[in-house]
Amino acid sequence: MSNILEVTNLTKHFGGLTAVSSLDLHIKTGEILALIGPNGAGKSTVFNLVAGVFAPSEGVIKFAGQTTHGQKPWDLARLGLARTFQIVKPFGSKTVLYNVMVGAFLRTNSTQKAREIAEEVLVTLQLDHTKDMLAANLTIADRKRLEIAKALATDPKLLLLDEVMAGLRPTEVDDMIGIIRGLRDRGVTVFVIEHIMRAVMALSDRVVVIQFGQKIAEGSPEAVTKDENVIKAYLGGEYDAA
Amino acid sequence: MSRKQLDRILLAVVALAAFGLPLVVTSPTYLQILILLFFYAYLTTAWNLVGGFAGVLPLGHSVFVGIGAYTSSILTLQYGVSPWIGMLVGGAIAAVIGVIIGLPTFRMRGAYFCLCTIAFAEGIRVMVENIDTLGPLKINGPRGLLVPLLKDPTFWDYQFMSKLPYYYIILVLLILVLAFTWFISRSKIGYYLAAGGEEPEAAAALGINVANYKLFAMALSCFLTALAGTFYAQLMLYFYPKGLMGLDLSFEIAFIALIGGRGTIAGPVIGALLLRPLNEFTRIYLSDMLPGLHLVIFGLILILVMIYLPKGLTAPLAALYDRLARKITGQGAAK
Amino acid sequence: MTAVIQAALNGAMMGAMYGLTALGLTLIFGVMKVVNFAHGSLLMVGMFSAYWLIRLTGIHPYLALVIVPPVLFVFGYYLQDVVIKPVFKAEGQVREPLTVIIVTTGVWYVLDNLALMLFGAEYRTVRTAISNKSFALGEFIISIPKFSGFVVAIATAIGLALFMRKTKTGKALRATSLDREAANLMGIDQYRIYNIAFGLGTAIAGIAGCVLIPFYYVYPSVGVVFDIRAFIIVVLGGLGSIPGALLGGLVIGLIESVFSQFMASTWTEAIIYAIFLIILFVKPSGFFGHKQDW
Ligand SMILES: Nc1ncnc2c1ncn2[C@@H]1O[C@H](COP(=O)(O)OP(=O)(O)OP(=O)(O)O)[C@@H](O)[C@H]1O
Ligand SMILES: [Mg+2]
Repeated sequence: MSNILEVTNLTKHFGGLTAVSSLDLHIKTGEILALIGPNGAGKSTVFNLVAGVFAPSEGVIKFAGQTTHGQKPWDLARLGLARTFQIVKPFGSKTVLYNVMVGAFLRTNSTQKAREIAEEVLVTLQLDHTKDMLAANLTIADRKRLEIAKALATDPKLLLLDEVMAGLRPTEVDDMIGIIRGLRDRGVTVFVIEHIMRAVMALSDRVVVIQFGQKIAEGSPEAVTKDENVIKAYLGGEYDAA
Repeated sequence: MSRKQLDRILLAVVALAAFGLPLVVTSPTYLQILILLFFYAYLTTAWNLVGGFAGVLPLGHSVFVGIGAYTSSILTLQYGVSPWIGMLVGGAIAAVIGVIIGLPTFRMRGAYFCLCTIAFAEGIRVMVENIDTLGPLKINGPRGLLVPLLKDPTFWDYQFMSKLPYYYIILVLLILVLAFTWFISRSKIGYYLAAGGEEPEAAAALGINVANYKLFAMALSCFLTALAGTFYAQLMLYFYPKGLMGLDLSFEIAFIALIGGRGTIAGPVIGALLLRPLNEFTRIYLSDMLPGLHLVIFGLILILVMIYLPKGLTAPLAALYDRLARKITGQGAAK
Repeated sequence: MTAVIQAALNGAMMGAMYGLTALGLTLIFGVMKVVNFAHGSLLMVGMFSAYWLIRLTGIHPYLALVIVPPVLFVFGYYLQDVVIKPVFKAEGQVREPLTVIIVTTGVWYVLDNLALMLFGAEYRTVRTAISNKSFALGEFIISIPKFSGFVVAIATAIGLALFMRKTKTGKALRATSLDREAANLMGIDQYRIYNIAFGLGTAIAGIAGCVLIPFYYVYPSVGVVFDIRAFIIVVLGGLGSIPGALLGGLVIGLIESVFSQFMASTWTEAIIYAIFLIILFVKPSGFFGHKQDW
């Protein structure tokens, strides 16, 4: 099976701070990879680098066999890379349907077609009952889903999900796990950042753990949770084992 | 009767009323007030493409009115080109200048764009005021340009003996630009502009090159704005930089848009319907009593509307129409 | 050459006045992310306050410096609290609330035209103890009111910078300007901070009014002259930057007066705009601004 994403020697400095340091990782097409690590470990920065928001200080990112050097977020989106934001960014003054249609327009120029795609995506995410509500008025859980819906409407090959379960109630977490599994079954490769270990265990095929921007462990969820470095990294941290 | 039918009937009634109005209003003075009202509604609708849908605040649009007026008038006066052609040339020049302003600023936060539009507009105005001739072109500095009155003008001359043709020209222009805006707002471009205006990073992640879409909107808006400049020149047959290209006009356009409802289709028309008559009448009746009073009132209205109706007048009016429509179509109360 | 240097000296002193106006604007912008279109009008209010105070009581113009700015602070504080805050609240957490900009424009219209109704359109000057005094510096003549204005401008900028770094309120202002939501979470009352920022900006306009009045004339729309320049200055210096505002002011003042030695003064205005646009294309963040720090 080929790798949809290959990251080698990825490094990012912010002034004096090194947020990501010589990171290597890859994702096979069709798998679910989780990236975990304590707060401030550099996880979101990895996403921003992969999605083209920041240019790496060093290193190479290859998406679907092509190096992404110099590509902007909108170019990568067109190539099939979609992402959500840790702090959700809905188009608050617009309806939920409108929000998702914006994503759908990436694959069509017809408003009618975009509406059809969006409505289908909303059903997938069990959001169809909110479609005429203003995005600003949604609950936290629905906002997180909307964030995924917008990304999914762009028909991505690889979907980056940044803490889409943070702030959700346990039942909502279960729903979300089901939804993400469903995405994988539809052929989307998923790369998640997640703090909630229960979800990580339930979802991921493989886990990469980083601390201070460096990879400290990699492997199956079971192996990683037994890893000594990982346990040390999380000791004392406010670590959510829910 | 369905809601769609009702909307159509209402639209048809309004359009018919607009076309029939000159049957009732025959006095040239009042006709002129109506013409200017439509002129402002047109300008604001063109402004709204970038100021409303793209979510930035341009405050120098009068310069594009000026570019339109100067281009077509110079071409007519010195080269005998019909203003109809000159109007398109002016539009093209305005679009290019709009893109030049947008290029460095659309990649930054909105305040830069806002201040840059003012500086650009004022810079061009000051330059026009300082230039008498530019190569072969007679600009005439602060005195402005006089479009000579023709004896037997034809349609091709864009000059008419009565106000009536002007009324219909600006009405048709307004309807066209409104229809165009309606079309844009329901198309991919409209969705992309709104998304980029509201959350640029989220929009970029969904595949939108936000700056490019804003540039496109800016070019369109400036083009359309310049067309109205030619109209103004042919209507008044005289204009000068301070009057036509100053900040007053730029700000008034923005005020009409915000009071009417930024980013809505009807907003510019509703805003113009309220502010233009108010402006004319307070100026005529109050400025003799106390100079400045009419502008104090203007400012107060602006502040009050922004405090109590930050989305403008269109939102409550639309809600009212919605309720009425429900009664008429018999769909009962709100769901 | 002598004439040019003399012009440069005058330009630097006038530029300090522009810088002082821009200082208040950049402070308000830095904290609230709002371009305050009423800023020139606040300067006008400051100038008229100083004018009437001196005219009616005959006090020394620099005594006005301890009376007018505090009064203007209160005025600005409540102006923001009563007029601008409600609009802010309605726009919620929008990063750059455009309707607020429009409200400040409304304030500008109201203030300028109230002044017109009250005082008429004529240009007024008041003769003060120092109005025509000057001293010689080698072969150059330095006007005392302009020179003291220059000193006050620099002192105000330094004072403001120290205030922002050393005091608790100053730190809260900076925290709000960096990240509104984070500051909120830290228990800082965003709207009170806005009141303070607006009050301070207005007080600085009051300082400018006091030092301008001995050598400048006041009329209802005097603010517009300073407004446009202040906008250009804050973009030149970097929106939100204190040293940038002062430096930008000096640059504009110098250009204006030195160039007017060589060409019609109507052209110098065009040149200022041209330079502004060149900088915008070459270094859009200005002298001191960071690329996207707001
Ligand atoms: N744009 C930026 N400029 C400067 N520093 C940044 C920037 N973005 C992130 N950082 C810093 O980089 C480090 C890593 O941040 P990042 O957001 O990637 O962490 P994270 O692992 O996603 O944390 P969390 O679990 O809290 O979301 C932090 O110290 C952060 O302050
Ligand atoms: Mg993160």
